Amino acid sequence: MKNKFKNIFTILGFELDNYFKSKSFVISTIVICVLALAIMFAPRIINAVSGEDSAKENESEGDTGAYGTDDGDTEKFVYYDPEGFLTPDVIAMYFPGDVFESCQNVEELEDKVESEEYAAGFAVNSLYSYDYYIFNKSMSDTNSQTFSELMGMLVKMKYCEENNLDINEFIEIEYAQIEVNETVLGKDSAQNFWYCYVLVILVFMIIIMYGIMIATSVTNEKSNRSVEVLVTSTSAVSILFGKVFAGVLATLFQCVLIALSVLGGYQLNRDEWGGALDMFLNIPSEVIITFAIFGIGGFIFYAFIYGAMGALVSKTEDLNKTAGSVQMVIMIVYFVVLFNLENVDGIIMKVASYLPISSYSAMFARVAMGNVSMPEITISAVILYASVVLMGIIAGKIYRNSTLRYGNPIKLSHALKNLSKQD
Amino acid sequence: MKLEVVNVKKSFDSKEILHGISFSAESGRALGLLGRNGAGKTTTIRIIMDVFHANSGEILLDGKKFEPDKNFIGYLPEERGLYPKKKIIDQMVFLARLRGISKSKATENAKKWLNRLGLTEYTYKKLETLSKGNQQKVQLAATLVADPDIVILDEPFSGLDPVNSRILRDVVRELISIGKIVIFSSHQMSYVEEFCDEIVIIDKGNIVLSGDLHEIKMEYGNNRRILSAAGMSLDELEKLINEKMSDKAKATAKKKNYIIIELLDGISQWDFLDSLKDLDIEIEQFGLYEPSLTDIFVARVGKNETEVPEDEE
Repeated sequence: MKNKFKNIFTILGFELDNYFKSKSFVISTIVICVLALAIMFAPRIINAVSGEDSAKENESEGDTGAYGTDDGDTEKFVYYDPEGFLTPDVIAMYFPGDVFESCQNVEELEDKVESEEYAAGFAVNSLYSYDYYIFNKSMSDTNSQTFSELMGMLVKMKYCEENNLDINEFIEIEYAQIEVNETVLGKDSAQNFWYCYVLVILVFMIIIMYGIMIATSVTNEKSNRSVEVLVTSTSAVSILFGKVFAGVLATLFQCVLIALSVLGGYQLNRDEWGGALDMFLNIPSEVIITFAIFGIGGFIFYAFIYGAMGALVSKTEDLNKTAGSVQMVIMIVYFVVLFNLENVDGIIMKVASYLPISSYSAMFARVAMGNVSMPEITISAVILYASVVLMGIIAGKIYRNSTLRYGNPIKLSHALKNLSKQD
Repeated sequence: MKLEVVNVKKSFDSKEILHGISFSAESGRALGLLGRNGAGKTTTIRIIMDVFHANSGEILLDGKKFEPDKNFIGYLPEERGLYPKKKIIDQMVFLARLRGISKSKATENAKKWLNRLGLTEYTYKKLETLSKGNQQKVQLAATLVADPDIVILDEPFSGLDPVNSRILRDVVRELISIGKIVIFSSHQMSYVEEFCDEIVIIDKGNIVLSGDLHEIKMEYGNNRRILSAAGMSLDELEKLINEKMSDKAKATAKKKNYIIIELLDGISQWDFLDSLKDLDIEIEQFGLYEPSLTDIFVARVGKNETEVPEDEE
């Protein structure tokens, strides 16, 4: 037993050495880290090149408030206003820096918009009605919305004028600044939603991508027959445990490096980003700890399953035949959790947070956004890690029974049926 | 040391593959484990190495239960396999460490065996960069790197050129001479004859023949003799014997340069030679017939079958 335990570390060391000397592993780690850092430093680099003061820019964006459409680019508009409702002051208020040109009739307006010299055209029918003309409308087009606000202001000005009211007082009251001091004593779901969303996707990708990596590593040994010598040198269980834990450690190493690149890069450039990524990257420590506990547990759980799936086939191209069903389960869990992120205290998420196949994702979402007590978290963690041990034993038996059988993939049902038998 | 396989039975999916086989192998004597494809040789080897568990029976070493963890087995599998993309020294050290050898000792052993097999220049090369023959030698080095007490070689000469075969021959002889238990499984009977003092032939999960190879050959050739005559073809000689000496012997087979005759019960070779003088033929060759291992193998497991083991040399 002592020798078998020792062999787990020997195999783990050998497998880790394989990962760290693998060109694809090293290059992908470096490329992703450099890319992450480059993205995080991009605003700083762009500002340095363009010489603009980002802080000043942010400030000016804040000043524009509800009227802010000035993105620094002057646009030309054409309008037809036979009644003469529009005034330069009001236009400048809503379209600062843009050029508005009048025309004689609707046909002329259409021609000018069609020439694409003008961004859009407005034909004012009355104070309460106008036609909007645009050549190609983009998804982010807000000109019509801004012009509607402009027309609304004209209505208010006319009302004040007719009722002998001061338009400035009216505006002051309508747009009165209300100071809100919010204190969230529980959890702020609105703020937590986005990083939860990101973490659910992240753990899903890690399990799918790295699970296959572990399965491939197991199958490769059958494929190149090195397993023939391995199983005669040590126990099958220690081989599988060593390989799985090496895969998990290599994955954690790569993920931690990438996370450090992203988070470190963001912290160094947070001012340049204007805090725009806070909702994704400003994650409370208790959520990170829960994510780590359940994420790692869930990953090891599935890593054992992937290892067993790898042992059922003799060629890597056959892996999909056995690993496909596992991926289906992971996909279903992913969608169930994602679709229930806005209702984390619902019965579906409660059940999902206790099942070992889904607690890795559902429990930390409940911790981040829902009401969950410490005993619930503890029970779920115990179930998950007990399932990891059980799955390790089952996977070890499948590996032992399947690893020296070559040829066609072994059916999972057949492998499970033979669990009680031992070759 | 004496390794004993005692009445071992093994079934897969309720089909019995081994029906209670028993044999033994001793230090300093190589044992040839023979059988047709699917006879149960590899299953037997895996049971000895504790990769498979026998349904009944036991493996003993010097009368005690054999524990592969304590008495290392060096196994050269028929399905060769190491890590193509790993450096040779790394994988050899790894395999030795799995057997409980320290890293420094494993490195020393690996270098010793690579040097012994003429592979020193490839020590730090990846396996995939070597020729097939050299890869095979690396596999043998990996088999011996943990200094095993028992060496099991499954088709060790397969794919080797004559030069490398000679190197491997020397290594096998050396292992036998230093008192290792060597179990040798091959379809190349000439190598088995060259190295093995004892043989075990397995057929359909049963042992059909076992014992000292020389004694087995003597037994098989007991009343058989070889005969050739000058100026007479083998066909003519065969016809002559069967027609004129049917009361003394019968010709049973033709080889390249002689025929094999079987003396009838109660007829000595001197009786036969006396009668032969009357036929007025000039005897070229006459002597004891020692059957080849291939002849014995075919006689025991190849009845009514067209597929016989190759004898390449």
